[in-house]
Amino acid sequence: MKVTQETHGAATLFIVEGQVDMHTSPALRQHLREALSNSASPLVVDLTSVAFIDSSGLATLIEALQAVGKYGGKLRLCGLSPEVQKLFELAQLTTIFDLRETRDEAMAD
Amino acid sequence: MSTPVRLSLTSHPKYLPLVRAVVQEGCGLAGFDEELTHRILLAVTEAVTNVIRHVYGGDKDKQIEMEVEAEPHVLKLALIDYGTFVDPKQIASRPLEEVRPGGLGVHLIKTTMDHVDYRRNAHGGTTLSLVKNAPAHEESS
Repeated sequence: MKVTQETHGAATLFIVEGQVDMHTSPALRQHLREALSNSASPLVVDLTSVAFIDSSGLATLIEALQAVGKYGGKLRLCGLSPEVQKLFELAQLTTIFDLRETRDEAMAD
Repeated sequence: MSTPVRLSLTSHPKYLPLVRAVVQEGCGLAGFDEELTHRILLAVTEAVTNVIRHVYGGDKDKQIEMEVEAEPHVLKLALIDYGTFVDPKQIASRPLEEVRPGGLGVHLIKTTMDHVDYRRNAHGGTTLSLVKNAPAHEESS
């Protein structure tokens, strides 16, 4: 898994590539924590190039969502593949997260 | 692959992609489509992750074995650990309406696989048996 972090104005963008599981999710968590510690908002996580994500990855994103909520920030996810979208549906998270189709949509506002 | 393929590995999460690669091959031999294959890869990942995290407490050098047996329309898996037997009654998923990290793995396993069975094995650990039938062949379970 690879995480590329970019800053665009107030927005912090995380481009995630590869497979997110118990082995790789700690690295994603570390990237997110650094932005969260700075109360950055919005945080945008682009999952377009994520071929696989498991409950460890979901837990990482839920933690980030809860953390960003504590300081009134926003977390948006974009580019979910049909398989990743299905996982969010199975976990009943589609209404909990702010899901956008494209990175441009997620970066807007 | 009517003869089971046996994979022996240590409990390091770096081997999760290897587990998925083997299971993916089995899904292909069983004739499963891409969507079902992805669901099974997720379920097996959750099962192995549970062993690493809950049976071995995150230790990375414990033993895990997995057997994969594929026949047309059927995939059978066995996940064998050498830890302490886990009482199935204590393996519960959290209510989905409770949005918090963790507790999803068992839910994902049970909603994907047709047969989920936890049994104490000869080593004192747990053997988790998983079976998935192709949707049009569910009567063979």
